[in-house]
Amino acid sequence: MIPWVPPGLVSDPNLPALLVLGLMAGLLALDDTAFAQTWFGQPLPAAILTGYLFGDPITGLAVGLPLQLVLSGNIPVGQTFTGDPTSAAIAAVGGTLLAGRPLSPVLVADTVGTLPLLGWVILGAGLLSMLGHLLIQAERRSNGIWMLKGLHSLRDGRLGRIDSLHIRCLGTTFLRGLASGILFTLFIYGAWVPLYDHLPGLIRTSLGTLPLLLPGLGVGTLIDRYGLKSSWHWMALGMVCTFFAARYFSGVLP
Amino acid sequence: MNPDLTRKPKEPRRRLSWGLQWSLWVRSLSLQASWNHQRMQNLGLLWNVLPWLRRQKRHINQDRLFFRRYYGFFNTNPYLANFLIGGLVRLEEDRSAGPEIESEFIGTFRDSVGRAFASLGDQLFWLGLRPTLVMLICFSGLLGQISSIMLILGIFTVFQLVLRWLALQRGYELGMDIVDLLFDRRWHLWIARTKRAGMVLTGMVIGLYLAQITDTGVSPGRGMLWVGTGLGMGLPVILRKRLPGEVMILAALLMALVLAFAI
Repeated sequence: MIPWVPPGLVSDPNLPALLVLGLMAGLLALDDTAFAQTWFGQPLPAAILTGYLFGDPITGLAVGLPLQLVLSGNIPVGQTFTGDPTSAAIAAVGGTLLAGRPLSPVLVADTVGTLPLLGWVILGAGLLSMLGHLLIQAERRSNGIWMLKGLHSLRDGRLGRIDSLHIRCLGTTFLRGLASGILFTLFIYGAWVPLYDHLPGLIRTSLGTLPLLLPGLGVGTLIDRYGLKSSWHWMALGMVCTFFAARYFSGVLP
Repeated sequence: MNPDLTRKPKEPRRRLSWGLQWSLWVRSLSLQASWNHQRMQNLGLLWNVLPWLRRQKRHINQDRLFFRRYYGFFNTNPYLANFLIGGLVRLEEDRSAGPEIESEFIGTFRDSVGRAFASLGDQLFWLGLRPTLVMLICFSGLLGQISSIMLILGIFTVFQLVLRWLALQRGYELGMDIVDLLFDRRWHLWIARTKRAGMVLTGMVIGLYLAQITDTGVSPGRGMLWVGTGLGMGLPVILRKRLPGEVMILAALLMALVLAFAI
């Protein structure tokens, strides 16, 4: 039993699953900037992979999609790096599924009953991503300290020191991802999801709208990045064609 | 006069040994692992070129000078960095064979070409390909095509790994002449194409999303949701300030609360 959770509120987490989730979070944290940068560490694929791990990729899609859209303006380049959406997305999906509250009905059963919980989980993911940002900055400061230690090699010419410092940085990123993945998941599972049941009705109504507002904000950021003047006609072309095609096929197809 | 005499004699194509190319390639994948605020990718770059140094006849003073050349500030785009790494290995090899290339020259070459590739790579990958792929996977997500999302990212992964492998050999072949690569017009053509594709895909995501919310019986009602979506899209453009996505989640919560009060 998790010590800080009142007894009977939630069940015990599945520890082997939590460990595998932590390992995946560590690997995807490496993928973010430290190793290969395949973009599987983006919120949407990370959430879907976590969903697969727990046998419910649709919940991963439900959480990952709005997160991916709203975070699409975050570019992980050098100084501008913001947030830790990878660990946050993993924790949001993992914690919700561990708590036995799948969000797949939002998409599968075409019902809006679980939308407020989805909004609550996404809000939690956003806050955890902000917290993860602090950890990433701390990691980068420690990289700086180790880099300065490497200056000794300029005096004694030792190659092994450079090897060990760089590998230490890689290891730190993996451990940071593993630790934040597990701790964030436990937070969502043990505190955030149970807290949802005690929210007032008005807040729940607002949370139900939250996931539906996020895509607009994310797309707005991209419009701003492309420049409205130079991009509006291309966007309008894509939007009009897709809107009417979707309306047409939704009427034609079963 | 025989025109052939005025031409530069064609050098035989130089190739990296398979073992060295493999070591450099694997290490190049973690160029940014030791990223730091003071000197950014310097430790990563030095760690990258160590396999070449290990294969040379070593002397402690030479090693110290080598470290000094690579320990200054360095930053470039990770996906295009291998052109430069290949070029640097070639320059180091030429320098170890004869004294024509000065130590300072390698440093200047590293900084200036690194910066140019950083700028090209940021335009092509971060502002071109990335938003395009993100919109493509979101479009697939809106259609519920989970396997397509994984397939798209899998294709991108293979593409960028192959690009890094080939770039290493190309950079090594060209040496100093990789500067010529930077003037290739195709870079800008591809930047423009990927950005345009991203714009169309962004429009497609908006179109599909609007079509889907029209069919959704959400409590605030369609009208309010359309207002909210329009406001959301307009807000970043009106503010002219690029807020992180996490802050926008909080902004969306505020908007959702206002909408909840309004109905």
